[in-house]
Amino acid sequence: MDQNRKPRSILETLGEELVRIITPVSICMLLVVILVTVLNTHSEGSSIGPSFTTIATIAYSESSSDSIWDKLKGALLNSLVFVAVITVVTFLLVLLFYFRCTKFLKYYMGFSSFLVLGFMGGEIALFLIRDFGFPVDCVTFVIILFNFTVVGVFAVFMSKMAIFVTQAYLVVIGMLVAYWFTLLPEWTTWVLLVAMALYDLAAVLLPGGPLKLLVELAISRDEDIPALVYEARPVINSDSSPTGDVLQRRVWTERRNTGSALDENSDARPNFNPNTSPVTNSNTTPGTYLSVGSGENEINLVNAEEGQVFRGDSELAAPLIQHRINVRMNSEEDASPSENFALEGIGLGSSGAIKLGLGDFIFYSVLVGRAAMYDFMTVYACYLAIIAGLGATLILLAFCRKALPALPVSIMLGCKSMPSLPPGMAKTWPKPELKLGHTGPNCKDLRPA
Amino acid sequence: MAGRVEWPTIDGPLGLSHQDSVAYARRFFNFGFLCLPFLWAVNCFYFWPVLRHPNSHQSHPEIRRYVVGSAIGFLVFAVILSSWSLTFMIGGNRLFGQVWDKLVMYNVADRYGLTGLF
Repeated sequence: MDQNRKPRSILETLGEELVRIITPVSICMLLVVILVTVLNTHSEGSSIGPSFTTIATIAYSESSSDSIWDKLKGALLNSLVFVAVITVVTFLLVLLFYFRCTKFLKYYMGFSSFLVLGFMGGEIALFLIRDFGFPVDCVTFVIILFNFTVVGVFAVFMSKMAIFVTQAYLVVIGMLVAYWFTLLPEWTTWVLLVAMALYDLAAVLLPGGPLKLLVELAISRDEDIPALVYEARPVINSDSSPTGDVLQRRVWTERRNTGSALDENSDARPNFNPNTSPVTNSNTTPGTYLSVGSGENEINLVNAEEGQVFRGDSELAAPLIQHRINVRMNSEEDASPSENFALEGIGLGSSGAIKLGLGDFIFYSVLVGRAAMYDFMTVYACYLAIIAGLGATLILLAFCRKALPALPVSIMLGCKSMPSLPPGMAKTWPKPELKLGHTGPNCKDLRPA
Repeated sequence: MAGRVEWPTIDGPLGLSHQDSVAYARRFFNFGFLCLPFLWAVNCFYFWPVLRHPNSHQSHPEIRRYVVGSAIGFLVFAVILSSWSLTFMIGGNRLFGQVWDKLVMYNVADRYGLTGLF
């Protein structure tokens, strides 16, 4: 079969990779916005607020009668507690990873997905059913929920499930946790977002930061972090793979040593970049980080599985994307004791496919979900800000080639694009124009008298 | 060999190899018996190329057996569940009487306080 050697430009392939990561982020945000609008308008007065105690509100429970200063203090206290818990959990993860308790981490990941999908998903489904009066019976409901949850655990747990199913479930998990976070009191949410962004910055860039340690550990061991990471489908260069062989998801790596590179050994990967460091596997470390690595973890497994399917070395001359950024997923502690998500972060898998931590999904969606409680122009502005931040982070990643946090830029831009008023008063004031170069009409003119 | 299925999974070259596919198909099929018809549906989705090409019963006999079994199982289960569910929804109080109010989900949720868990 003659190979159609139509070279694809870097712009095409890079653009497609970006679209493949921006689409699920957008879908997650859209779903959270829909959930927030639907569930909040239906239960206008009866909020879940009052008896809502979780780790994030353990220090202070906001009530509408407090003064602004009290609310701010309380929110800061809450966020401090939350960030402290996250830090402890992350260090615990680093420790577990250091002692190679990978199985335990994987089981924990499966268990936390089960909790999120089963309990949170079930509860949100119940809210919807109750609000719409959907006359489903409990037998059907239980069966459907059970199926949904168990298949979700399989999708997250097993490394070789249908890519679409795994991606869909990760987006759903992100959406559920994000919706849960939007139920927190207002001030706590905003301060928490900023606090998490700062924590991310610290954890990934500071020398003693847990995420940095995790990355370095994984890199030094050349292992995968068994974490909840969304990996976009890699762009396959069809003329770069030998026919009939199973493609590793690392097609996008440049072959440096064509000679002995095709080892049947599980360590040999087509994407051999001697400069890159392996990506660490971190189950549940909060924080985002991008690390450049030759991420072989998955490939190791894949190689071991598929054994000797490699053929032609020279055909795998795929360009580019040298940087593997590992995305860490964010892990959060919430009411259910075992929410163990991976770190947040943006990264490129060793296959060149972009990996984004689930924590990023969650916090972006929380910001947009909160904005949805005001009105839709705010949502739009925040959405654009977040996507711009995401793009900027990716560009920065391409330049820096090391672990970078993915939260700070987006969160800061998103918060900036909120109306600069105390929360709660936003509805009664005219909205400022969008700050992103959007030349639409000033919202003031459209408001009813 | 026209019609020979190149890749057994829907992910194509990113998916499983031929050897692993059999193990996975069998595992999905067996687990589906634990009241998990959705797993059967995922099985069919994952091995869609095998299901699609009628020639695959020559090239992938084992996989095809499991996938076709999954498809049949899922269809049967879906028919049973949807008929029960639709009868429940449409019949309502008139058909079931008192029992309907006991079985409908929002009443069950209120009775056990399920929406106040978190």
